Amino acid sequence: MEFDVIFGNAARAGLGPQAAIFALAAIGLNLHFGYAGLLNFGQVGFMMLGAYGTAIMVATWGGSLWLGIPFGLGLCVAFALALGIPTLRLRSDYFAITTIAAAEILRLLIRSSPATDITGGPFGLQAIANSFYDLNFLPDGRFGIGTFSYSSNQLWVMIVAWVLVVLCSALVLGLIKSPWGRVVRAIREDEDAVLSLGKNTVAYKLQALAIGGVIGGLAGVIDVLQQSGVGSENFEPQVTFFAWAALILGGLATTVGPVVGAVLFWFLREGVESFIRELSAENWLPNVLADFLDGAEGAISVVLMGIGLVGLMALRPQGIFGRRRNLHLGT
Amino acid sequence: MSEMTTVRPELTEAALEAAPPGRLKDDPILITFGMLKTFGGIRAVDIDHLEIERGTITAIIGPNGAGKTTLFNLLTGFDRPDQGSWRLDGRPLGGLPPHRIARLGMVRTFQLTKSLSRLTVLENMAVAAQTQRGERLERALLRWLWLPEEERVMTRAVELLERFGIEHMADEQAGTLSGGQRKLLEMARALMADPELVMLDEPTAGVNPALTESLLEHIRNLNAEGVTIVFVEHNMDVVMDISDWVVVMAQGRILTEGAPEEVVANEEVIDAYLGRAREAVDEAVEEAEGEEGDG
Repeated sequence: MEFDVIFGNAARAGLGPQAAIFALAAIGLNLHFGYAGLLNFGQVGFMMLGAYGTAIMVATWGGSLWLGIPFGLGLCVAFALALGIPTLRLRSDYFAITTIAAAEILRLLIRSSPATDITGGPFGLQAIANSFYDLNFLPDGRFGIGTFSYSSNQLWVMIVAWVLVVLCSALVLGLIKSPWGRVVRAIREDEDAVLSLGKNTVAYKLQALAIGGVIGGLAGVIDVLQQSGVGSENFEPQVTFFAWAALILGGLATTVGPVVGAVLFWFLREGVESFIRELSAENWLPNVLADFLDGAEGAISVVLMGIGLVGLMALRPQGIFGRRRNLHLGT
Repeated sequence: MSEMTTVRPELTEAALEAAPPGRLKDDPILITFGMLKTFGGIRAVDIDHLEIERGTITAIIGPNGAGKTTLFNLLTGFDRPDQGSWRLDGRPLGGLPPHRIARLGMVRTFQLTKSLSRLTVLENMAVAAQTQRGERLERALLRWLWLPEEERVMTRAVELLERFGIEHMADEQAGTLSGGQRKLLEMARALMADPELVMLDEPTAGVNPALTESLLEHIRNLNAEGVTIVFVEHNMDVVMDISDWVVVMAQGRILTEGAPEEVVANEEVIDAYLGRAREAVDEAVEEAEGEEGDG
């Protein structure tokens, strides 16, 4: 059993661009749900708009990547307003249902054939991030040891992505520590009480939704940069729920929770998958089980992650960094 | 629709003679005209005219279902009337959302206390301060713009907490407070918003006698500082103790209003009324059920 291979794979995933993308998505969700109490099950919609906005500007309209990124993030703000203005006055469950439906409608629209001229439909869009890699100052070659290694371009994306993770974490922390953040957290506790104190709660919820959405949009931008392309199959609803899993694993309403959660989520997922593959390769598994697992290592890994999360909820429902006491303070 | 008027008890006219509702006040802070709110055929609130005198403590009493809380919800913008208009200091409030009404100086509390559980007691207070620069998103990250103001807010919050005797809990999460402490916090928080008119929905409900006494003392002190107070109350001792004026509501209407002694003088009217009201409600319910069966 080559534990260095398993560990190398796990570490590569845990620190790689995927983990950074999910960390950004989870930071946005943390602002939405952890602080503002908005149940957003459509975070993938924001990621999709960030990604497609960037890609369409470059690949379809021949614009600059540096115009495409703000365009994509602008679409995220528009999406937040379109989603929030009709629903944020209603009870929170209506908002939750709307978010998941809106994100899925958006994905189906993007991959529909009438949209092919703009979005590439089922084929997606390619060759988008050239001007991003032109800025790569790292030498060619691979960095790292064993399976824990990255190409020069991968490392370049990672540096940018993790810097963004730090900046967004700091942004959310700064906002939450301000009087603005105090109102937002108060709304999470009891919206009527905050209304009775003269605060326009709908405006605060819209602002929180838009900011968290733009952070989710940045995750989509990193995804485009990483693949230098975009496809609608990357934005299925489970993406939102992986981001939720990372957030809950790390701990709601904490600064490092979503980041550590995302790292751990990808570390464990890839680690378990590699472990199962190694077990099969070493013939340590009975044939029946090995045949069953063959080719399904990824799926099994997700299943085990799910079971692990259930266990976490039983033993440490507040996540790694959360405060247990908060769970018992009913609102 | 025609059945609705019959729900009104016969005794209303006797009560009207004793103390006609809708009396004009010398210096009203709040004036309400033709306020009507129906819930599926029930006239929850149906008030022709009501004025609240500035600087007084006004109690609103009446049996359960009389429409007291609904009236509070309507006046503070938490619910919309079918028709009616009302003015605070001459400014029409109809159609304004609750936060705008609160900003104009009418701040309410709730029957079930609404403490912001996972915020500290001090943060609960700070949220209530009005027009804070740091509450604007565009200034939230520019600390130097709001830090001096934040210090003033905190100083005032601590002062108020001291006055209400819960300053030792300032850094605890509000969810850890006892029921009585929450009542105190909610009242202190309403004050933090610098209101002209405070609407207290059952401030002493579920509070022990000692704390009730202290809450009443706070209400008196507040009033002495010039704040007008309207409160819903079931405990007649409390009403007699602190109110300058009593408004009696039943089945959505104002049955009578007057000084506490006046209302007490008409005690038999009220007693009879409360008895009759039950019967009238029961009859109405039976009628409604009968109609449902027929329809």
